[in-house]
Amino acid sequence: MSDQELERYVRQMRWQLERAPLSRRGFMWASAMSATAAFLAACSSGGGNATAAPSSAAPSASASASAAASASEAAVESLGPEPSFEVPPDIEKELFMYNWGDYVDPNNMKQFQEVFGVEKFTYDTFANNDEMMAKFQGGALGQWDICCPTMNYVPAMRDQGFIQKLDLARLPNLKYVDKTFKGQYWDPTDEYSVPKDWGTTGISVRTKDVKEPVKSWREFLDLVPKYSGKVVFVDSPDDVFIAPLKANGYSLNSDVKEELDKAREELLKVAPHILALDSDQYNTKIETEEAVLGLTWTGGILELRDKPETSDVVYTIPEDGTVFWLDTWVVLTDPPHPVAGHAFINFIHEPHIQAIETETNQYATPDSAAKQFIDPKMLADEALFVPEDVVAKLEPQKDNSGITQRQDIWAEFKSKIGQG
Amino acid sequence: MSASTEVAPGIRARPRRSLPSGLLGGLLVLPASAWYLILLVAPLVIVVVMSFGTKSKFGGYEPAFILDNYAQALDPSRVSPFVTSLIMAVTGTILCLLAALPIAYFIATRGGRHKSLLILLLIVPFWTSFLIRTYAWLTILGPDGLAGIIGGIIGDSSFRILGTPFAVLLGVVYAYLPLMVFPIYVTMERMDRTLIEASKDLGAARWATFRQITLPIALPGLITGSILVFIPMMGEYVIPAILGYGRVFLIGNQLVLQFLESRNWPEGAARAVVLIVIMLVTVIFYVWFVNRGQRTREVSVL
Repeated sequence: MSDQELERYVRQMRWQLERAPLSRRGFMWASAMSATAAFLAACSSGGGNATAAPSSAAPSASASASAAASASEAAVESLGPEPSFEVPPDIEKELFMYNWGDYVDPNNMKQFQEVFGVEKFTYDTFANNDEMMAKFQGGALGQWDICCPTMNYVPAMRDQGFIQKLDLARLPNLKYVDKTFKGQYWDPTDEYSVPKDWGTTGISVRTKDVKEPVKSWREFLDLVPKYSGKVVFVDSPDDVFIAPLKANGYSLNSDVKEELDKAREELLKVAPHILALDSDQYNTKIETEEAVLGLTWTGGILELRDKPETSDVVYTIPEDGTVFWLDTWVVLTDPPHPVAGHAFINFIHEPHIQAIETETNQYATPDSAAKQFIDPKMLADEALFVPEDVVAKLEPQKDNSGITQRQDIWAEFKSKIGQG
Repeated sequence: MSASTEVAPGIRARPRRSLPSGLLGGLLVLPASAWYLILLVAPLVIVVVMSFGTKSKFGGYEPAFILDNYAQALDPSRVSPFVTSLIMAVTGTILCLLAALPIAYFIATRGGRHKSLLILLLIVPFWTSFLIRTYAWLTILGPDGLAGIIGGIIGDSSFRILGTPFAVLLGVVYAYLPLMVFPIYVTMERMDRTLIEASKDLGAARWATFRQITLPIALPGLITGSILVFIPMMGEYVIPAILGYGRVFLIGNQLVLQFLESRNWPEGAARAVVLIVIMLVTVIFYVWFVNRGQRTREVSVL
């Protein structure tokens, strides 16, 4: 059991304790859980790579258990009444979802099935947006009810008729979604997509090895040759283009020839020094110090900071600005189970359910109402819940897949990786 | 045949003969030709047709008749993945050959009663997913594995194997070695052992016997094995991506880039056609070259 799993387990337990009035049986269950947690903590501390986490997790678990036990009634008051779910009478018994891997909390799915009487819940996965688009362009509509494209793919999906207008009457919980995410370019009328999670692309640094300050894309690009062969980039053109464009003060969605020429020059300059383009294992490479600098997402990086051997890992949102991406829920055209699909999207935006999603996925939630249920330590994490002044510098990702010059530069860059 | 007697019981042997044997042959060949048409010819036609099209607004394919895609594919500044692939595939095939020949020879001649066990051991790795086996090499060759040990010995802590052409070569040779061993083993297994005795009796030394008897007999196996290994190596995509860290950029990686990332199917299709042509030419030349050598030798034997 990894530290992260352990911590999640403890947190879930705590949440359960704070939420429910503690019955006798519940108390016994809670003590059993905390005993298990303590046992697991003891086990994993023997495992070598987890000495600090358990010692901090275990006391906090027992502390919160006793606190909850003594003041359980009060806690329930402050967190509001037990949420109630309105089950639509015409709901189907099945739900087919097409999503990124491991992107919905399994317990939330179970709870949805139990509460809404959905007996069969299928969770199919895709690895990236383009794979998903290729599926639908190949005519795979009617197989799934709901899907999670990144926002810049929503307009193309809408224009090609892959997604349908939402039945807003079935989605009352959209009232919890912050207005920052409404009326944006990808869905000006908010009729086609519902925000899911959002995040940034930034710079990961092993401060143990890299002593220079890396606060901007400019500094990052200038440092790459110095740490030649120890730099990892995610294998994603949209994200890689951010660095050279933003370092020169251009829009990351630029399609201006001169600006892209400049970006090409910068990219080809760093290409020979890159260890790998890697979207799946970049965090492992940083963990093993094979790479000490990275242009990465937050996934897998944030948990490195919690491990003692990798606590020097720092994730920075560059000063010269970066992208914000937002994954969205959409209802596909010809869904076999439209009611269940809408019910699920509404269910997942119930604030306490959304909080569990955030803690599981480790991405920021678009629902402010959910924040009261999220671990304060997580809320305080500026890499995840970005401060207002930094948010102002973020730029939404657009669909640049039609810009031939970007594709040509990307192909050239990709074929020059490590070729010094 | 029995059907015809049932349909017309009054008439005897004659009509049996008159059932056109061509029809029966055609019927028997039908499944094979359907397979051939649906799974080989049709996709090939689609790829060729697509290679003359253009990219539609949202990616994918739009009918057209242009040659731009071929101009792009053959643009001198972009052919380097072809060249790298060719070098890797040829080197990989030669390495496979050098490794497989002794293995097959040993199992065929010295295997004795353990023969089937040894062959089984060659197949065992196939029981594990190819992807998992490739990921396993990450651990073996990684900084905590072989690279770390070698780095420690030569005193260079930044020494690494992963992300180099060597790692990719090792990966492809490992993955395709059995495909080379089996055909060579089969030919050597069937070899008439008395030929070797005869050769020795006639005073040939070990090397001469190997060169003049064993090798020519194993040649068909060598050719089959080389083709079986060369073709997938030429189109290899996963191993350079995982073990090569994407630093070894092969034609397979370029095709994935075209089809999945740029969603420019026509340009990808043009590259695929070029790849098919290159492979056809290479393989035909290879077979012709090897066969030519064999024929002269047969003549000389006669």
